[in-house]
Amino acid sequence: MSIEVQKITKTFGDFTALKDVTIKVPSGQLVALLGPSGSGKTTLLRIIAGLEVPDSGTVLFDGADATSRSARERQVGFVFQHYALFRNMSVFENVAFGMRVKPKSERPTKQAINDRVHELLRLVQLERLGDRQPAQLSGGQRQRVALARALAVQPKVLLLDEPFGALDAKVRQELRRWLRRLHDEIGITSVFVTHDQDEALEVADRVVILHDGRVEQEGTPEEVYEHPASPFVYNFLGNVNLFHGRVEGSKVHLGDFSMDAPPDMENGQTDPGAVVYARPHLLDLDHEPPKNRPHFKAKIVHIHPAGAVVKVELTTDAGNPINAELPHERYRGLGLQKGMTVFVSVRDMKVFSKAQSMLGGGI
Amino acid sequence: MRSNSDPLWVRLLLTSVALVFFGLFLLLPLVAVFTEALRKGLGTYFAALAEPEALSAVWLTLLAAGIAVPLNLVFGVAAAWAIAKFDFPGKQVLITLIDLPFSVSPVVSGLIYVLIFGLQGWFGPWLAEHNLKVIFAVPGIVLATIFVTFPFVARELIPLMQAQGTEEEQAARVLGARGWQIFSRVTLPNIKWGLLYGVILCNARAMGEFGAVSVVSGHIRGRTNTIPLHVEILYNEYHAAAAFAVASLLAILALVTLAAKMAVEWKARQSGQELAHEH
Repeated sequence: MSIEVQKITKTFGDFTALKDVTIKVPSGQLVALLGPSGSGKTTLLRIIAGLEVPDSGTVLFDGADATSRSARERQVGFVFQHYALFRNMSVFENVAFGMRVKPKSERPTKQAINDRVHELLRLVQLERLGDRQPAQLSGGQRQRVALARALAVQPKVLLLDEPFGALDAKVRQELRRWLRRLHDEIGITSVFVTHDQDEALEVADRVVILHDGRVEQEGTPEEVYEHPASPFVYNFLGNVNLFHGRVEGSKVHLGDFSMDAPPDMENGQTDPGAVVYARPHLLDLDHEPPKNRPHFKAKIVHIHPAGAVVKVELTTDAGNPINAELPHERYRGLGLQKGMTVFVSVRDMKVFSKAQSMLGGGI
Repeated sequence: MRSNSDPLWVRLLLTSVALVFFGLFLLLPLVAVFTEALRKGLGTYFAALAEPEALSAVWLTLLAAGIAVPLNLVFGVAAAWAIAKFDFPGKQVLITLIDLPFSVSPVVSGLIYVLIFGLQGWFGPWLAEHNLKVIFAVPGIVLATIFVTFPFVARELIPLMQAQGTEEEQAARVLGARGWQIFSRVTLPNIKWGLLYGVILCNARAMGEFGAVSVVSGHIRGRTNTIPLHVEILYNEYHAAAAFAVASLLAILALVTLAAKMAVEWKARQSGQELAHEH
């Protein structure tokens, strides 16, 4: 089932949680609502579920207006951030709940409920824990019970609020890959809320980036990562180095060096207040000034060699901090030491005008 | 015992002071009630209890508690549900009003009913015309009992339900449960121990209430006397043994209440429901 949210606005007292938000979730896709806390992502999810009523705007399920349908009637599966398992019921009873409360005419037989619960517990790999109480489970197990419970009523849409938010890093990793596989298996239209860009980019088919109650950008993970529409998106999707400079013709001037403006910029424009962003892994370090590339000098302040890449912290002569990431071989080849002065060159960057950067906000 | 740096004599002194206090003010009166009650032998003891006036007092006490406790149970659950799970204007006022019976002297509570339903009161003439009696009759006693036991259940449930939040109810709603199903399958099981705890305290107070009931009762023997009032009358008339015999019923009720309280607290801890300890 596809979901469309059209021009939704929602306020809580003086606080505007969502301003004129429109998004589309195509049938069968896994979509992430990504944004920092306070961006309105959870409110949007709760409005889709019918747990919150929008001030204006409509929610369409498969093109039919569902705005006035109650949460009971929407047939959505909802997984709460803190699971919200029924603490007085066993795992089995938690999963069976949605079937047991159906009106008598629609209620499956005892045997059918039994079979379905076992099937779901098998799906979430908790077959043997049916008799446990929620308090006896780990966070990851509770999360999977919550998922099985939501799936038990055969919802047309699955909504997950920060599904891995309360779990530790390793369990998070495992569970999100598992969620992706599960989604591919059952193919249910799913929307999940997260503040973790890695999670959104890794798991989702499409990402909707929310900021201050507005949709900042919507697209596939590649689209939003490679072509961020605003400085906010660029900032939010990973570490960045930020340079202030000015654009003149096809050149960008950044303090003591200049470079060609990226091809996606309008030619010939002049902008005295441009902001340039470059990802740490797109910077290169060298002892000699590279011949073909613009470069500047910086001093190494700190080196973090642990991890997949070597993270190097530098400062320019003007005192601006720079973060670079190098592959381990490159780092060893250069023999970098703390306190060295090296040449930094930029392989790729993204230039935003001052006006855009004001619009998008800072980090 | 936790390790601490207080010297032995300080610990001994504090423990003995506490024990002497406990003995003097709690244990001694309890022992006294039973010794006095049995001073003239078991025969007199049971005779005092089997007396028609005593039986009528027991019956009236059971009746008043039997009406007040279920009503306050329903009211307490409804009020706590409304306060803990919803936001509405006047919520703070409602919380304050629930506490009113705790802050008002029971005698004043009784007088309020006399002023409203008494012969000279607001509805007195109307009631007299229709041949209805509230004051100096059973309805007055029941009303006064309801009033003084009003806060117990609600007070116990509000913090418990507030701590539990509304997420489980929301989850039930999304899963398709109706209002009554949510209440009976999710909310009620989550509060059952707190509820039972409140009911036990409510019942103890309903059966033991003296002040408010005394004002509205009129002390008509065999008709409007509850156990506490009957004890007072017997004592005033120098039937000490009989007075203590009837009083021992209330003492036994207190012991049973304590035991039940402890059992519920234990069960609640086991099921992870934190109870509010303010009584």
